[in-house]
Amino acid sequence: MHLECSQLSFTYPGSDNAVIENLSFSMEKPGFKALFGPSGVGKTSLAKMIASMVPVNDGQILCQGIETVLYSYNLERLPGWSSCGNHLDKVTPEGKEMLQEQLVDIFELNEVTGSRFSQLSMGQQNRANLIRYLLQDFDLLILDESLANVDEKLREKIILSIKEIFPDKMFLYISHNLMEVSKFCSQILVFGKPGGQKQNFLIHGQDYTQGYELDKESLDHCMLEIMNAF
Amino acid sequence: MLFRRIYQFMIVYVIGVIFLWMIKLSLGLSDYVIPGISLLKDTAEEFGTGYFMDVVNTLSVTVLGQFLSIIMAFTVGIAGRKSSWIGSFIKVTAYNIQAYPIVALAPIIFILLGDGFLSRLLIASMICYFPLLLSVLGIMATPVTDIEHFYIVTGRMRWQLEVKIRAFENLSKLTTVIAGSATLAMAGTIVGEFISANAGIGYSIRIALYQSDMAKILIALFMIGIIISIYQGILESMGEHIKHRWSIVNKGDEL
Repeated sequence: MHLECSQLSFTYPGSDNAVIENLSFSMEKPGFKALFGPSGVGKTSLAKMIASMVPVNDGQILCQGIETVLYSYNLERLPGWSSCGNHLDKVTPEGKEMLQEQLVDIFELNEVTGSRFSQLSMGQQNRANLIRYLLQDFDLLILDESLANVDEKLREKIILSIKEIFPDKMFLYISHNLMEVSKFCSQILVFGKPGGQKQNFLIHGQDYTQGYELDKESLDHCMLEIMNAF
Repeated sequence: MLFRRIYQFMIVYVIGVIFLWMIKLSLGLSDYVIPGISLLKDTAEEFGTGYFMDVVNTLSVTVLGQFLSIIMAFTVGIAGRKSSWIGSFIKVTAYNIQAYPIVALAPIIFILLGDGFLSRLLIASMICYFPLLLSVLGIMATPVTDIEHFYIVTGRMRWQLEVKIRAFENLSKLTTVIAGSATLAMAGTIVGEFISANAGIGYSIRIALYQSDMAKILIALFMIGIIISIYQGILESMGEHIKHRWSIVNKGDEL
Protein backbone atom coordinates (compact mmCIF):
# COMPACT_ATOMS: atom_id res chain seq x y z
CA MET A 1 0.00 0.00 0.00
CA HIS A 2 1.59 3.20 -1.18
CA LEU A 3 0.34 6.78 -1.51
CA GLU A 4 2.65 9.22 -3.23
CA CYS A 5 2.18 12.83 -4.26
CA SER A 6 4.78 14.55 -6.40
CA GLN A 7 5.07 18.25 -7.23
CA LEU A 8 1.39 18.72 -6.39
CA SER A 9 -0.09 22.22 -6.75
CA PHE A 10 -3.64 23.41 -6.35
CA THR A 11 -5.32 26.77 -6.81
CA TYR A 12 -9.06 27.29 -6.43
CA PRO A 13 -10.73 28.60 -9.60
CA GLY A 14 -10.81 32.40 -9.58
CA SER A 15 -8.06 32.66 -6.97
CA ASP A 16 -4.51 33.87 -7.55
CA ASN A 17 -3.01 32.23 -4.49
CA ALA A 18 -2.09 28.58 -4.59
CA VAL A 19 -3.44 26.57 -1.65
CA ILE A 20 -0.90 23.83 -2.27
CA GLU A 21 2.41 24.40 -4.00
CA ASN A 22 4.91 21.76 -5.12
CA LEU A 23 3.89 19.30 -2.44
CA SER A 24 5.72 15.99 -2.52
CA PHE A 25 5.48 13.19 0.02
CA SER A 26 4.97 9.48 0.21
CA MET A 27 3.11 7.35 2.74
CA GLU A 28 3.61 3.62 3.03
CA LYS A 29 1.74 0.70 4.57
CA PRO A 30 -1.71 0.52 6.14
CA GLY A 31 -2.52 2.32 9.41
CA PHE A 32 -3.20 5.82 10.61
CA LYS A 33 -1.49 8.71 8.81
CA ALA A 34 -2.18 12.35 9.57
CA LEU A 35 -2.43 15.69 7.82
CA PHE A 36 -1.62 18.35 10.39
CA GLY A 37 -1.40 22.11 10.27
CA PRO A 38 -3.27 25.33 10.86
CA SER A 39 -6.55 26.15 9.10
CA GLY A 40 -6.35 27.18 5.47
CA VAL A 41 -3.10 25.44 4.55
CA GLY A 42 -4.74 22.98 2.17
CA LYS A 43 -5.34 19.83 4.23
CA THR A 44 -8.92 19.41 3.02
CA SER A 45 -7.99 20.39 -0.53
CA LEU A 46 -5.31 17.71 -0.58
CA ALA A 47 -7.71 15.15 0.89
CA LYS A 48 -10.29 15.97 -1.78
CA MET A 49 -7.68 15.64 -4.51
CA ILE A 50 -6.66 12.22 -3.20
CA ALA A 51 -10.36 11.23 -3.17
CA SER A 52 -10.70 12.56 -6.77
CA MET A 53 -13.33 15.06 -5.64
CA VAL A 54 -11.38 18.01 -7.05
CA PRO A 55 -9.10 17.89 -10.09
CA VAL A 56 -5.34 18.05 -9.70
CA ASN A 57 -4.01 21.30 -11.26
CA ASP A 58 -0.40 20.30 -11.38
CA GLY A 59 1.70 17.31 -10.33
CA GLN A 60 0.43 13.79 -9.74
CA ILE A 61 -0.99 11.47 -7.13
CA LEU A 62 0.10 7.86 -7.27
CA CYS A 63 -1.86 5.17 -5.44
CA GLN A 64 -0.55 1.62 -5.31
CA GLY A 65 -2.72 -1.01 -3.65
CA ILE A 66 -5.38 1.64 -3.07
CA GLU A 67 -8.42 1.09 -5.25
CA THR A 68 -11.21 2.72 -3.27
CA VAL A 69 -10.77 6.04 -1.48
CA LEU A 70 -13.60 7.41 0.68
CA TYR A 71 -13.69 10.92 2.10
CA SER A 72 -15.71 11.62 5.26
CA TYR A 73 -16.03 14.94 7.06
CA ASN A 74 -17.54 16.24 10.25
CA LEU A 75 -20.46 18.26 8.86
CA GLU A 76 -22.16 15.33 7.17
CA ARG A 77 -25.72 14.48 8.08
CA LEU A 78 -27.96 11.43 7.83
CA PRO A 79 -31.42 11.96 6.29
CA GLY A 80 -33.98 13.02 8.88
CA TRP A 81 -36.97 10.87 7.92
CA SER A 82 -35.84 7.79 9.75
CA SER A 83 -33.83 6.73 12.81
CA CYS A 84 -30.03 6.40 12.72
CA GLY A 85 -30.35 2.66 13.33
CA ASN A 86 -32.54 2.30 10.24
CA HIS A 87 -30.15 4.28 8.11
CA LEU A 88 -27.20 2.18 9.30
CA ASP A 89 -29.12 -1.03 8.52
CA LYS A 90 -29.87 0.23 5.01
CA VAL A 91 -26.24 1.05 4.17
CA THR A 92 -24.66 -2.00 5.78
CA PRO A 93 -23.50 -4.41 3.06
CA GLU A 94 -24.59 -8.01 3.38
CA GLY A 95 -22.37 -9.99 5.73
CA LYS A 96 -21.23 -6.95 7.72
CA GLU A 97 -24.12 -6.95 10.22
CA MET A 98 -21.85 -8.23 13.01
CA LEU A 99 -19.31 -5.51 12.27
CA GLN A 100 -22.09 -2.93 12.44
CA GLU A 101 -23.12 -4.19 15.88
CA GLN A 102 -19.50 -4.21 17.03
CA LEU A 103 -18.89 -0.64 15.81
CA VAL A 104 -22.12 0.69 17.34
CA ASP A 105 -20.99 -0.84 20.61
CA ILE A 106 -17.43 0.57 20.44
CA PHE A 107 -18.67 3.99 19.37
CA GLU A 108 -21.13 3.92 22.33
CA LEU A 109 -24.21 4.57 20.22
CA ASN A 110 -26.36 1.65 21.41
CA GLU A 111 -28.79 3.87 23.25
CA VAL A 112 -29.39 6.32 20.41
CA THR A 113 -29.84 4.09 17.37
CA GLY A 114 -33.61 4.59 17.67
CA SER A 115 -33.24 8.38 17.54
CA ARG A 116 -33.26 10.60 14.52
CA PHE A 117 -29.99 12.25 13.50
CA SER A 118 -31.13 15.73 14.54
CA GLN A 119 -31.83 14.45 18.05
CA LEU A 120 -28.19 13.39 18.57
CA SER A 121 -25.41 15.52 20.02
CA MET A 122 -22.73 16.71 17.59
CA GLY A 123 -20.29 14.08 18.84
CA GLN A 124 -22.89 11.33 18.43
CA GLN A 125 -23.71 12.60 14.94
CA ASN A 126 -20.07 12.40 13.90
CA ARG A 127 -19.71 8.91 15.35
CA ALA A 128 -22.86 7.67 13.55
CA ASN A 129 -21.58 9.13 10.31
CA LEU A 130 -18.14 7.51 10.67
CA ILE A 131 -19.68 4.08 11.29
CA ARG A 132 -21.41 4.29 7.89
CA TYR A 133 -18.07 4.74 6.17
CA LEU A 134 -16.30 2.01 8.11
CA LEU A 135 -18.97 -0.44 6.96
CA GLN A 136 -18.22 0.22 3.29
CA ASP A 137 -15.56 -1.36 1.14
CA PHE A 138 -12.52 0.92 1.05
CA ASP A 139 -8.73 0.85 0.95
CA LEU A 140 -8.15 4.40 2.12
CA LEU A 141 -10.56 6.29 4.34
CA ILE A 142 -10.00 10.00 4.86
CA LEU A 143 -11.30 11.30 8.17
CA ASP A 144 -11.53 15.08 7.88
CA GLU A 145 -12.15 16.00 11.52
CA SER A 146 -14.63 13.12 11.51
CA LEU A 147 -14.24 12.68 15.26
CA ALA A 148 -14.72 16.34 16.16
CA ASN A 149 -16.82 16.98 19.26
CA VAL A 150 -16.12 13.48 20.59
CA ASP A 151 -14.56 13.46 24.05
CA GLU A 152 -10.86 12.61 24.22
CA LYS A 153 -11.20 9.30 26.05
CA LEU A 154 -13.79 7.91 23.64
CA ARG A 155 -11.85 9.23 20.65
CA GLU A 156 -8.80 7.29 21.80
CA LYS A 157 -10.87 4.14 22.26
CA ILE A 158 -12.37 4.55 18.77
CA ILE A 159 -9.04 5.16 17.03
CA LEU A 160 -7.35 2.20 18.75
CA SER A 161 -10.32 -0.06 17.90
CA ILE A 162 -10.32 1.01 14.27
CA LYS A 163 -6.60 0.23 14.05
CA GLU A 164 -7.27 -3.22 15.48
CA ILE A 165 -10.35 -4.06 13.38
CA PHE A 166 -8.97 -2.72 10.09
CA PRO A 167 -5.26 -3.62 10.14
CA ASP A 168 -4.98 -3.73 6.33
CA LYS A 169 -6.61 -0.37 5.60
CA MET A 170 -5.04 3.05 5.36
CA PHE A 171 -6.58 6.02 7.21
CA LEU A 172 -5.72 9.64 6.53
CA TYR A 173 -6.63 11.51 9.68
CA ILE A 174 -7.09 15.29 9.59
CA SER A 175 -7.07 16.75 13.08
CA HIS A 176 -5.91 19.80 14.97
CA ASN A 177 -5.05 17.75 18.04
CA LEU A 178 -1.25 17.64 18.30
CA MET A 179 -1.13 15.03 21.04
CA GLU A 180 -3.56 12.73 19.23
CA VAL A 181 -1.78 12.69 15.87
CA SER A 182 1.56 12.23 17.63
CA LYS A 183 0.31 9.27 19.62
CA PHE A 184 -1.72 7.33 17.08
CA CYS A 185 -0.36 8.09 13.63
CA SER A 186 2.65 6.47 12.02
CA GLN A 187 3.33 9.30 9.57
CA ILE A 188 2.32 12.93 9.98
CA LEU A 189 2.43 15.37 7.10
CA VAL A 190 2.85 18.80 8.67
CA PHE A 191 1.80 21.74 6.52
CA GLY A 192 3.63 25.06 6.73
CA LYS A 193 1.96 28.33 7.65
CA PRO A 194 -0.37 29.77 5.00
CA GLY A 195 1.13 32.65 3.04
CA GLY A 196 4.61 31.96 4.37
CA GLN A 197 7.33 29.63 3.18
CA LYS A 198 5.18 26.65 2.27
CA GLN A 199 7.49 23.91 3.42
CA ASN A 200 5.96 20.61 4.41
CA PHE A 201 7.52 17.93 6.58
CA LEU A 202 6.77 14.27 7.01
CA ILE A 203 7.30 13.28 10.62
CA HIS A 204 7.12 9.83 12.17
CA GLY A 205 4.57 9.50 14.96
CA GLN A 206 4.40 7.04 17.83
CA ASP A 207 1.72 4.83 16.16
CA TYR A 208 0.39 3.42 19.44
CA THR A 209 -1.92 0.41 19.35
CA GLN A 210 -4.23 -1.25 21.93
CA GLY A 211 -2.55 -1.73 25.32
CA TYR A 212 0.25 0.71 24.57
CA GLU A 213 2.73 1.95 27.15
CA LEU A 214 3.29 5.66 26.97
CA ASP A 215 6.85 6.68 26.20
CA LYS A 216 6.69 10.26 27.39
CA GLU A 217 10.11 11.25 26.14
CA SER A 218 9.53 10.01 22.58
CA LEU A 219 6.09 11.56 22.52
CA ASP A 220 7.42 14.93 23.68
CA HIS A 221 10.13 14.72 21.06
CA CYS A 222 7.59 13.96 18.32
CA MET A 223 5.30 16.81 19.38
CA LEU A 224 8.24 19.20 19.52
CA GLU A 225 9.27 18.14 16.05
CA ILE A 226 5.77 18.86 14.73
CA MET A 227 5.60 22.23 16.49
CA ASN A 228 8.95 23.22 15.00
CA ALA A 229 7.80 22.20 11.55
CA PHE A 230 5.30 25.04 11.15
CA MET B 1 -54.87 27.40 10.94
CA LEU B 2 -58.16 26.96 9.05
CA PHE B 3 -60.09 29.32 11.32
CA ARG B 4 -57.25 31.84 11.34
CA ARG B 5 -57.46 32.06 7.55
CA ILE B 6 -61.25 32.63 7.71
CA TYR B 7 -60.88 35.30 10.44
CA GLN B 8 -58.19 37.05 8.41
CA PHE B 9 -60.41 37.12 5.33
CA MET B 10 -63.45 38.34 7.32
CA ILE B 11 -61.41 41.22 8.76
CA VAL B 12 -60.15 42.26 5.31
CA TYR B 13 -63.61 41.91 3.78
CA VAL B 14 -65.31 43.97 6.50
CA ILE B 15 -62.62 46.69 6.23
CA GLY B 16 -63.16 46.77 2.45
CA VAL B 17 -66.97 47.10 2.74
CA ILE B 18 -66.65 49.80 5.43
CA PHE B 19 -64.24 51.67 3.14
CA LEU B 20 -66.82 51.51 0.33
CA TRP B 21 -69.55 52.76 2.67
CA MET B 22 -67.33 55.67 3.77
CA ILE B 23 -66.93 56.65 0.10
CA LYS B 24 -70.68 56.24 -0.37
CA LEU B 25 -71.42 58.51 2.63
CA SER B 26 -68.78 61.10 1.86
CA LEU B 27 -69.75 61.43 -1.83
CA GLY B 28 -73.50 60.90 -1.27
CA LEU B 29 -73.64 57.99 -3.71
CA SER B 30 -76.85 56.00 -4.26
CA ASP B 31 -77.46 52.30 -3.50
CA TYR B 32 -77.18 51.70 -7.24
CA VAL B 33 -73.44 52.54 -7.13
CA ILE B 34 -72.55 51.18 -3.67
CA PRO B 35 -75.22 49.05 -1.97
CA GLY B 36 -76.27 49.60 1.66
CA ILE B 37 -76.63 46.95 4.34
CA SER B 38 -80.24 46.08 3.53
CA LEU B 39 -79.60 45.67 -0.19
CA LEU B 40 -76.56 43.53 0.53
CA LYS B 41 -78.67 41.38 2.87
CA ASP B 42 -81.45 40.96 0.30
CA THR B 43 -78.96 40.08 -2.46
CA ALA B 44 -77.23 37.59 -0.19
CA GLU B 45 -80.55 35.89 0.58
CA GLU B 46 -81.56 35.78 -3.07
CA PHE B 47 -78.24 34.88 -4.76
CA GLY B 48 -76.06 33.59 -1.91
CA THR B 49 -76.80 29.88 -2.44
CA GLY B 50 -76.42 30.14 -6.22
CA TYR B 51 -73.12 31.96 -5.90
CA PHE B 52 -71.95 29.45 -3.33
CA MET B 53 -72.57 26.66 -5.85
CA ASP B 54 -70.81 28.70 -8.54
CA VAL B 55 -67.74 29.09 -6.29
CA VAL B 56 -67.80 25.36 -5.56
CA ASN B 57 -67.92 24.78 -9.31
CA THR B 58 -64.94 27.10 -9.80
CA LEU B 59 -63.12 25.47 -6.87
CA SER B 60 -63.52 22.01 -8.41
CA VAL B 61 -61.79 23.27 -11.56
CA THR B 62 -59.17 25.00 -9.39
CA VAL B 63 -58.40 21.86 -7.39
CA LEU B 64 -58.07 19.76 -10.52
CA GLY B 65 -56.00 22.44 -12.25
CA GLN B 66 -53.72 22.81 -9.26
CA PHE B 67 -53.30 19.05 -8.97
CA LEU B 68 -52.32 18.88 -12.63
CA SER B 69 -49.89 21.74 -12.27
CA ILE B 70 -48.28 20.15 -9.18
CA ILE B 71 -47.74 16.90 -11.09
CA MET B 72 -46.38 18.76 -14.12
CA ALA B 73 -44.14 21.01 -11.99
CA PHE B 74 -42.64 18.03 -10.13
CA THR B 75 -42.18 16.02 -13.32
CA VAL B 76 -40.44 18.85 -15.16
CA GLY B 77 -38.66 20.05 -11.99
CA ILE B 78 -37.20 16.60 -11.34
CA ALA B 79 -36.22 16.20 -15.00
CA GLY B 80 -34.66 19.66 -15.05
CA ARG B 81 -32.71 19.38 -11.79
CA LYS B 82 -29.52 18.11 -13.44
CA SER B 83 -26.85 20.45 -14.72
CA SER B 84 -26.87 18.58 -18.05
CA TRP B 85 -27.89 20.38 -21.27
CA ILE B 86 -31.47 19.08 -21.00
CA GLY B 87 -31.70 20.35 -17.41
CA SER B 88 -30.32 23.75 -18.39
CA PHE B 89 -32.68 23.87 -21.38
CA ILE B 90 -35.71 23.14 -19.19
CA LYS B 91 -34.66 25.75 -16.62
CA VAL B 92 -34.03 28.49 -19.17
CA THR B 93 -37.29 27.71 -21.01
CA ALA B 94 -39.28 27.77 -17.76
CA TYR B 95 -37.75 31.08 -16.65
CA ASN B 96 -38.49 32.66 -20.03
CA ILE B 97 -42.04 31.37 -20.44
CA GLN B 98 -43.08 32.30 -16.88
CA ALA B 99 -42.23 35.93 -17.68
CA TYR B 100 -45.12 35.98 -20.18
CA PRO B 101 -48.57 36.73 -18.70
CA ILE B 102 -50.53 33.49 -19.14
CA VAL B 103 -53.88 35.32 -18.85
CA ALA B 104 -53.04 37.06 -22.12
CA LEU B 105 -53.13 33.63 -23.76
CA ALA B 106 -56.62 32.89 -22.43
CA PRO B 107 -58.47 34.21 -25.50
CA ILE B 108 -56.47 31.86 -27.74
CA ILE B 109 -57.40 28.92 -25.50
CA PHE B 110 -61.10 29.87 -25.60
CA ILE B 111 -61.01 30.29 -29.39
CA LEU B 112 -59.37 26.92 -29.86
CA LEU B 113 -61.13 24.88 -27.17
CA GLY B 114 -64.41 26.74 -26.71
CA ASP B 115 -65.81 28.08 -23.43
CA GLY B 116 -66.24 24.76 -21.63
CA PHE B 117 -64.60 22.93 -18.77
CA LEU B 118 -61.33 22.14 -20.57
CA SER B 119 -60.46 25.80 -21.24
CA ARG B 120 -61.03 26.74 -17.59
CA LEU B 121 -58.95 23.79 -16.43
CA LEU B 122 -56.09 24.64 -18.77
CA ILE B 123 -55.98 28.29 -17.71
CA ALA B 124 -56.15 27.39 -14.00
CA SER B 125 -53.29 24.91 -14.27
CA MET B 126 -51.14 27.19 -16.44
CA ILE B 127 -51.54 30.13 -14.08
CA CYS B 128 -50.18 28.27 -11.06
CA TYR B 129 -47.85 25.93 -12.97
CA PHE B 130 -44.95 28.31 -13.59
CA PRO B 131 -44.52 29.72 -10.07
CA LEU B 132 -44.68 26.14 -8.80
CA LEU B 133 -42.21 24.96 -11.41
CA LEU B 134 -39.68 27.66 -10.56
CA SER B 135 -39.84 26.74 -6.86
CA VAL B 136 -39.59 23.00 -7.52
CA LEU B 137 -36.73 23.53 -9.99
CA GLY B 138 -34.89 25.70 -7.47
CA ILE B 139 -35.30 23.10 -4.72
CA MET B 140 -34.54 20.04 -6.85
CA ALA B 141 -31.50 21.61 -8.53
CA THR B 142 -29.83 22.54 -5.22
CA PRO B 143 -27.77 19.67 -3.79
CA VAL B 144 -27.89 18.93 -0.07
CA THR B 145 -24.18 18.12 -0.07
CA ASP B 146 -23.87 17.24 3.62
CA ILE B 147 -26.39 14.43 3.19
CA GLU B 148 -25.85 13.41 -0.41
CA HIS B 149 -22.04 13.10 -0.22
CA PHE B 150 -22.07 9.67 1.42
CA TYR B 151 -24.54 8.18 -1.06
CA ILE B 152 -22.61 9.58 -4.03
CA VAL B 153 -19.16 8.38 -2.97
CA THR B 154 -20.44 4.94 -2.03
CA GLY B 155 -22.37 4.60 -5.31
CA ARG B 156 -25.74 4.36 -3.57
CA MET B 157 -27.31 7.48 -4.98
CA ARG B 158 -30.43 6.92 -7.09
CA TRP B 159 -32.59 9.67 -8.54
CA GLN B 160 -35.47 8.67 -6.25
CA LEU B 161 -33.26 9.05 -3.17
CA GLU B 162 -31.89 12.37 -4.42
CA VAL B 163 -35.43 13.71 -4.90
CA LYS B 164 -36.50 12.38 -1.51
CA ILE B 165 -33.54 14.04 0.28
CA ARG B 166 -34.10 17.40 -1.43
CA ALA B 167 -37.87 17.31 -0.92
CA PHE B 168 -37.50 16.38 2.76
CA GLU B 169 -34.94 19.10 3.41
CA ASN B 170 -37.23 21.69 1.78
CA LEU B 171 -40.58 20.40 2.97
CA SER B 172 -41.61 23.71 4.56
CA LYS B 173 -40.85 25.64 1.37
CA LEU B 174 -42.72 23.12 -0.77
CA THR B 175 -45.87 23.08 1.35
CA THR B 176 -45.89 26.89 1.53
CA VAL B 177 -45.53 27.17 -2.25
CA ILE B 178 -48.27 24.58 -2.91
CA ALA B 179 -50.68 26.26 -0.45
CA GLY B 180 -49.85 29.66 -1.95
CA SER B 181 -50.42 28.43 -5.49
CA ALA B 182 -54.05 27.63 -4.57
CA THR B 183 -54.81 31.36 -4.67
CA LEU B 184 -53.14 31.63 -8.05
CA ALA B 185 -55.10 28.68 -9.43
CA MET B 186 -58.38 30.16 -8.13
CA ALA B 187 -57.54 33.57 -9.57
CA GLY B 188 -56.63 31.96 -12.90
CA THR B 189 -59.89 30.02 -13.07
CA ILE B 190 -61.98 33.08 -12.19
CA VAL B 191 -60.18 35.25 -14.75
CA GLY B 192 -60.67 32.54 -17.37
CA GLU B 193 -64.38 32.32 -16.53
CA PHE B 194 -64.61 36.07 -16.55
CA ILE B 195 -63.13 36.33 -20.05
CA SER B 196 -65.27 33.67 -21.64
CA ALA B 197 -66.93 30.69 -19.98
CA ASN B 198 -70.38 29.33 -19.41
CA ALA B 199 -70.15 28.42 -15.73
CA GLY B 200 -68.41 29.28 -12.48
CA ILE B 201 -68.25 32.35 -10.26
CA GLY B 202 -66.20 34.31 -12.82
CA TYR B 203 -69.05 33.88 -15.29
CA SER B 204 -71.56 35.09 -12.63
CA ILE B 205 -69.39 38.12 -11.85
CA ARG B 206 -69.30 38.96 -15.56
CA ILE B 207 -73.12 38.91 -15.67
CA ALA B 208 -73.26 41.08 -12.52
CA LEU B 209 -70.82 43.48 -14.16
CA TYR B 210 -73.00 43.80 -17.25
CA GLN B 211 -75.94 44.53 -14.89
CA SER B 212 -73.74 47.01 -12.93
CA ASP B 213 -74.91 45.21 -9.78
CA MET B 214 -72.31 45.97 -7.10
CA ALA B 215 -74.26 44.04 -4.44
CA LYS B 216 -74.01 40.80 -6.44
CA ILE B 217 -70.29 41.39 -6.98
CA LEU B 218 -69.70 41.95 -3.25
CA ILE B 219 -71.62 38.77 -2.35
CA ALA B 220 -69.66 36.82 -4.98
CA LEU B 221 -66.39 38.17 -3.56
CA PHE B 222 -67.47 37.13 -0.07
CA MET B 223 -68.19 33.56 -1.24
CA ILE B 224 -64.88 33.38 -3.11
CA GLY B 225 -62.94 34.63 -0.07
CA ILE B 226 -64.56 32.22 2.37
CA ILE B 227 -64.10 29.18 0.16
CA ILE B 228 -60.51 29.95 -0.88
CA SER B 229 -59.67 30.53 2.82
CA ILE B 230 -61.08 27.11 3.68
CA TYR B 231 -59.22 25.50 0.76
CA GLN B 232 -55.91 27.13 1.69
CA GLY B 233 -56.42 26.23 5.34
CA ILE B 234 -57.00 22.60 4.38
CA LEU B 235 -53.85 22.58 2.20
CA GLU B 236 -51.75 24.08 5.01
CA SER B 237 -53.12 21.55 7.50
CA MET B 238 -52.28 18.75 5.08
CA GLY B 239 -48.76 20.19 4.73
CA GLU B 240 -48.34 20.24 8.50
CA HIS B 241 -49.63 16.68 8.70
CA ILE B 242 -47.14 15.50 6.05
CA LYS B 243 -44.27 17.31 7.80
CA HIS B 244 -45.25 15.72 11.11
CA ARG B 245 -45.52 12.25 9.56
CA TRP B 246 -42.12 12.53 7.90
CA SER B 247 -40.46 13.79 11.04
CA ILE B 248 -41.55 10.94 13.30
CA VAL B 249 -39.44 7.82 13.46
CA ASN B 250 -40.85 5.18 11.16
CA LYS B 251 -38.99 1.97 11.68
CA GLY B 252 -40.47 0.24 8.66
CA ASP B 253 -39.67 2.80 5.99
CA GLU B 254 -37.35 2.28 3.07
CA LEU B 255 -34.56 4.41 1.71
